[in-house]
Amino acid sequence: MAEKMVCCHECDELLHIPQTQKEGRLKCPRCGTVLLRQKKGMVEIMYALSIAAAILFLLTNYFPFLSFHVVGNTSHANFMTSIVYLFGEGDWLIGIAVLMTTVVVPLIRIGLMLSLFGPIYHGIIPPYTVLALKVLSHSLPWAMLDVFLVGVFVSMVKLVKMGTIVPGLSLWAFMVMVFVMAAMQVVFDPHPLWEKVDERRRQKGMA
Amino acid sequence: MRAIELGMTNCHVCNQVVKLPKHKGEGTVLCPRCGEEVHLRKPNSIQYTWALVIASIILYIPANVLPMMEVETFAGTQADTIISGVIYFLETGSYLIASVIFIASIIVPITKLIILIYLLVSVQKKSPLHKKKRKKLYVLTELIGKWSMVDVYVVAIMIALVHFGGLTEIKAGDGATYFLLVVVVTMIAAMQFDPKLIWDTEIQEKRETDAGNA
Ligand SMILES: [Zn+2]
Ligand SMILES: [Zn+2]
Repeated sequence: MAEKMVCCHECDELLHIPQTQKEGRLKCPRCGTVLLRQKKGMVEIMYALSIAAAILFLLTNYFPFLSFHVVGNTSHANFMTSIVYLFGEGDWLIGIAVLMTTVVVPLIRIGLMLSLFGPIYHGIIPPYTVLALKVLSHSLPWAMLDVFLVGVFVSMVKLVKMGTIVPGLSLWAFMVMVFVMAAMQVVFDPHPLWEKVDERRRQKGMA
Repeated sequence: MRAIELGMTNCHVCNQVVKLPKHKGEGTVLCPRCGEEVHLRKPNSIQYTWALVIASIILYIPANVLPMMEVETFAGTQADTIISGVIYFLETGSYLIASVIFIASIIVPITKLIILIYLLVSVQKKSPLHKKKRKKLYVLTELIGKWSMVDVYVVAIMIALVHFGGLTEIKAGDGATYFLLVVVVTMIAAMQFDPKLIWDTEIQEKRETDAGNA
């Protein structure tokens, strides 16, 4: 039977495994890192989750996030409000960081997931697959919506003593989105997609 | 068998196993599948990680001394550092929030730096001990790093909501910028460290035992 090699990214152990892998996880015998986690239905689940995440992202950024009332004054905030104020005050480093980690990187990731799993679900391997997978791999550590959610809870507790906090529609959408994106990260397995890239390369080579 | 013994390694993006040429100086090797640069070990991993760890220790001082947030009211300006924020929550009885901030802003960055220093020192001493545990510690530093951003986000949200044109204003303090830099620099430090170095002592041990048997 044809074999292929897998190298553990944590400890450098080299494994020889059968070319056609059955379902299930493959653990590194030396260090215990999960190297492969072939799951059935990954493409379908990812397609559904990325559609959900895209809709929730639009809702989150369109409607007000939190409203705050203090003695006759009301302010509404959504994602962009804080970024606009930060830039206005000259705190551009913090502004860029908040913009990148809570808007730009998550949006790019959702967009890439959607444009990968949409066509793949319909049996087409898009020509930008390699680029999309590379960007997904590099951007992962910089998507921080889950951390932002904790920041929202802390701010609410801080502000509750100063006035009235009214959660907006988009706060609920945002909370669901954080869970959807966490689920995406658990389900997402780039390995079968890289194998599809390989397959296409082999076919091209033969033609 | 470890890949380095065959001059092979995995591409850090697509995990393709790549064989590298025996002689260095033949230019960079690109992954045949995704085109990313491939190295047997991350180049200058230990030096870069040390430099970034030291930089974050230095940045961590102004991050704690300078205010994260300045609240301006008619009564005057009140500046809050990380610690005074934690104390405020403790005094007002919000123990859960106090511990969230304490863990995210103080425990997480310090733990991360201590783990990275331990990993660097143990790798430089070629320690053969606790390899699995050290691998777990490394995975932990990668997981917890971004959670330190909580306090920076709190400042950003407070600025957006407490904005009533002159009446009460909240501004980000310089401490917030330094703290943001601590988070980013420690995250890059963890990325620069090559966990495979933890296990590389075995090549040496094997060579030594081979030499002993001969
Ligand atoms: Zn391993
Ligand atoms: Zn590659």
